[in-house]
Amino acid sequence: MTTTAPPQTETWKGQSIRRTEDRRLLQGQGEFTDDVWMHRQGYAHFVRSPLGHARIRSIDTSRAARLEGVYAILTGDEVREMCPTPFFQIAPEPGGRIAEYPLAVDKVRYHGDAVAVVLAETRELARDAAGLVDVDYEPLPAVVDTVAAADPEAPLLHEQVGSNVVWKGDFDWGDVDWALENADHVVKIDRLHFHRFSSTPLECNAAVVHWDPGTDTVKVQSNNQMPMFASMVIGPTLGVASNRLTFSSQDIGGAFGIKIGSYPQIAALALLSRKAGRPAKWTEYRTDHMLSAGHGNERVFLDTEVAVLKDGTILGFKTRAFDDAGAYLHYEPLGAVIWSQVCCGCYKLRHIHVDYTETVTNKCPTIPNRGYSRLQHLWFLERVVDVVARELGFDPVALRKQNYVQPSDYPYETPNGCVYDSGDLPRSLDMALELIDAPKWRERQRELGRGSGKRIGIGIGSTLDSGTNNFGQARIINPNLPFSGNGEAAFVKLDLYGEINVNLGTTPQGQGHETTAAQVVADVLGTSPDAVHVTAGFNQQQNTYVAFSGTYASQFAVTGLGAAQGAAERLRAEIAEVAAFALQAPIDEIEIRDGNCFVRDDPERAIPFIGVANLIYSNNAVLTPELRERISLNCRYVYTPPFQVPDPETKTGNLTLTYASQIHACVVELDEHTGEVKILDYAALDDCGTRINPQLVEGQVHGATALGIGAALYEAFEYDESGLLQQASFYDYHAITALDTPDIKVGDIESPSPFTPNGAKGMGEGGGAPLHAVCSAIQDALSPDDAIVSDSHNPWERVWRLMRSGEHGEPRGVTVASRSDAAGSDATA
Amino acid sequence: MLLESVEYARPDTVEQALTLLSQREGAAPLAGGQSLVNVLKHRVASVELLVDISRIDELRRIEARSDGGLEIGACVTYDELDGSDAVRASHPLLADVAGHIEDQQIRDRGTIGGNCCLSDPTNNLPPLLVALDATMNIRSRSGGVRQVAAEDFFHGYFSTAVGEGELLCSITVPPLPSPGGAGYSTVSLGADSKALARAAALVRGNGVIEDARVVLACFSAAPMRHHGMEAALRGAPATAEAVAAAAAGIGDGLDPPGDVHASTDYRRALAPVVARRAVCQAIGNGGDERG
Ligand SMILES: Cc1cc2nc3c(=O)[nH]c(=O)nc-3n(C[C@H](O)[C@H](O)[C@H](O)COP(=O)(O)OP(=O)(O)OC[C@H]3O[C@@H](n4cnc5c(N)ncnc54)[C@H](O)[C@@H]3O)c2cc1C
Repeated sequence: MTTTAPPQTETWKGQSIRRTEDRRLLQGQGEFTDDVWMHRQGYAHFVRSPLGHARIRSIDTSRAARLEGVYAILTGDEVREMCPTPFFQIAPEPGGRIAEYPLAVDKVRYHGDAVAVVLAETRELARDAAGLVDVDYEPLPAVVDTVAAADPEAPLLHEQVGSNVVWKGDFDWGDVDWALENADHVVKIDRLHFHRFSSTPLECNAAVVHWDPGTDTVKVQSNNQMPMFASMVIGPTLGVASNRLTFSSQDIGGAFGIKIGSYPQIAALALLSRKAGRPAKWTEYRTDHMLSAGHGNERVFLDTEVAVLKDGTILGFKTRAFDDAGAYLHYEPLGAVIWSQVCCGCYKLRHIHVDYTETVTNKCPTIPNRGYSRLQHLWFLERVVDVVARELGFDPVALRKQNYVQPSDYPYETPNGCVYDSGDLPRSLDMALELIDAPKWRERQRELGRGSGKRIGIGIGSTLDSGTNNFGQARIINPNLPFSGNGEAAFVKLDLYGEINVNLGTTPQGQGHETTAAQVVADVLGTSPDAVHVTAGFNQQQNTYVAFSGTYASQFAVTGLGAAQGAAERLRAEIAEVAAFALQAPIDEIEIRDGNCFVRDDPERAIPFIGVANLIYSNNAVLTPELRERISLNCRYVYTPPFQVPDPETKTGNLTLTYASQIHACVVELDEHTGEVKILDYAALDDCGTRINPQLVEGQVHGATALGIGAALYEAFEYDESGLLQQASFYDYHAITALDTPDIKVGDIESPSPFTPNGAKGMGEGGGAPLHAVCSAIQDALSPDDAIVSDSHNPWERVWRLMRSGEHGEPRGVTVASRSDAAGSDATA
Repeated sequence: MLLESVEYARPDTVEQALTLLSQREGAAPLAGGQSLVNVLKHRVASVELLVDISRIDELRRIEARSDGGLEIGACVTYDELDGSDAVRASHPLLADVAGHIEDQQIRDRGTIGGNCCLSDPTNNLPPLLVALDATMNIRSRSGGVRQVAAEDFFHGYFSTAVGEGELLCSITVPPLPSPGGAGYSTVSLGADSKALARAAALVRGNGVIEDARVVLACFSAAPMRHHGMEAALRGAPATAEAVAAAAAGIGDGLDPPGDVHASTDYRRALAPVVARRAVCQAIGNGGDERG
């Protein structure tokens, strides 16, 4: 390993240096996929289903083909002929029987399903031609509700599956029956619904795909954020070996998980390019994006029962979860296990039973969306805690603190074998409440009399952002999947004149990887980040990678920077060896600082990096054969977390390496007359371990907060009964803007992770804390006899209805059964 | 093409524009293009010739009239209304409303005439102009100027008193009553999204309401005056309580549309709220009051 102590006690790590990327991005010098131009390229446009569910009787492309400048048109039938096999499925039987091709074959299964794709001389012509493709549809009844879809009588999406239930599993840890029997109170919640929305990246999906007949390779320049996954899924379907299928991207205009989902289109473009003998360029229109790029998972929790002791200890719960994957399984059913990374959330619940059903429906396929699968579950848990507090008369703050995992409990093993690494949840909550000055608002809340027309509510959202997946959890879904562990690769070299260059396996979308990687490498090599060049973007032909490479799931600070650090340490060791040889000094006396290598206590004896590079690259006859052979100054390192394979039988194992926490506190004002919700104060307390660049962390916190507030109040994708999307443009889908975003007060704690190379934890997703906090605050503002907040989406009308539910005597959605000797509660059985 | 291919003309005078519009079938005026171009892009309507009127000088003037009113050219943009000293001086509410339509890009191009001729029930300006008792000055090639009260101008989406081959050329806004004032209230989901319910009001009187115009929008195809509430206000004291009493129950007789953003029931419930708030603002009593 390294031979010298770090040159200075001050590190670049921990400093909010400016983002290297911003200079080009703010001056319009970034390179996004739509900026890519290839000789002879044509423009692609997809023909999409205007119906939710229908049989394709026929497709007539003749009118479109007659337009001058149309290069090629591809339909589902042709695609089926060209593909050796449909996309590989993660699901076991019966979900695994789904046969999905790059274009719809025989049937369309959702509004926006792609039935054909046109390549033409211009973007506009391609769109015109697509409009001339005549598709004859026989409409079929649709199913748009996941619980209804599970009914054997429901319209079937995939006949060969035999049911719309594509995955089902029982997650049973501890002894929930014992807990419910021995509880003083059992709180029963009828139905909780987590709605569909997306993250609205500024840049829609895009790709330039060239099936090059000359080299028989397929070159994909795209903004797909998980290219190795895309490659592994589409390679076999295209019949192309992975060393002939190469992905690259430079700048990506936001992704949020949604851009994992562009692989079916990329596959279709590859076939279109092959047919036309030209590169195919595609930039998605916003409406196409809203219809078909992918939505976040929608989930329903039925018949929840929560076991509570009279002192407020929550023992556990059971529930029936239904997850709506949309029409095809894209990355799903991985969501069916990923929630269990946080099965007990921030709480010491020991008895958990979740009967989990995943169905397909006639809706856009879901795709991991910021907070993927955990935010649904964390929202559920936060609703449970708030409802328990309200029904049993506990203070929601005290109840949380009492049931939180305590600082002394770390490392804390959850009932399913996950290990929470570090944190201080009670203090985080205190700090968040201090930031909003909670007592002041409680006072205001009391002062507001009836007739003021307003109500105030204070809410809390406690979340964990689990990061660095153990892909072995896929085996809990399908024991035959040969996946486990995780990792990321980096490559650090000293270049010809002694310059430092870094290549990453990641596909950044605004997270500042160039900046933070330079900080980490600069610390190891005793130099300044300005002296470290990090290659922008990802290019499979140049960068190093592993199958997990990409940017997703809150892990770069651990895996990506772990890899960069490891590679830099290797390089440092090589530099020291060459310097020791050149300076004729023992290696443990070599110090490295500011691009120079010195002999400790004799700084006159020195060799700069350029000298070290010279010896290896262009002056190697002076070296010993042994050094010449072994040292390259080109160092690759793959960071791998210390995971083991989980147990599919018991559904237990360590599923993620790190657990960042976000505790949000929020004050809302409700307008009694209209249901309008105004956020009066908002605080986000973040603990993601050691922060490499605090300002970048704050930026992620701001983004995740705005997204969550948007989802809680404004944004929803809803379908009518025939399966038509009701919000397919910005007229109807109100993506949150700066005008709607409150001032966000940000606070932090740093609880370093003992499990990571740098103490950092992944944190970008943010666990959906604003959804929990806003729902909690609305709940707090309602009257005790009003219904509970049971939906994650609360636009004004829903709030208006909630405020009237009590006086209209509507069902509250919750009941409590208490033992006769349980004090402190006036609840009824 | 993003748009289907379409011819384009940019006449210098209203005369020329009217000639083009009346001679060619399938010709339509193009003002700010903020709605029309979208409509063409989505191909829900097709036009053969776009007659761009947005740079005709005589349609771009704002004139402060000697009676304290305004004469506003049809192609004055929202941003120009917002920034006009004349509008700010005599009708500050009109400037404010124009200054809050959607976003700056749209305000730079969208025009008062286009906003009225599109006649989308959720558009900001129609109910306000009805409340202000504006007069719409329409010209045709043959017949000179035809004046239509704003109240009779709006028929529904894309449907107004402007006939084939005609142009809305200017809008006359009478002076605000003195004593008196105007008010405006909207419920929308998010700061810059479409209105769910809206009302505009004009009140004459001080201490006692002598006369009132109350206009609701988003409840039917076109802005509608609520004569019942107006009658209840006439002679009432200019207090929040009296206004609330006049507004109570006005939603019951309405049959507003329901859609994914707001159900019929909810819109009904919003009617008295926006009406009350608009009138309260007009009487200078709790314009900012949400209660
Ligand atoms: C994303 C978005 C959100 C919007 N939100 C709102 C909103 O919240 N509130 C709101 O009020 N508006 C909104 N608008 C619409 C905007 O205000 C438009 O500018 C307005 O509706 C039309 O004005 P325009 O000048 O752009 O007219 P154009 O789009 O050019 O024309 C509209 C119609 O009027 C006709 N026309 C235009 N001028 C004349 C004339 N002088 N005589 C006869 N016919 C004429 C045209 O032929 C066309 O049929 C929004 C627009 C967009 C794109």
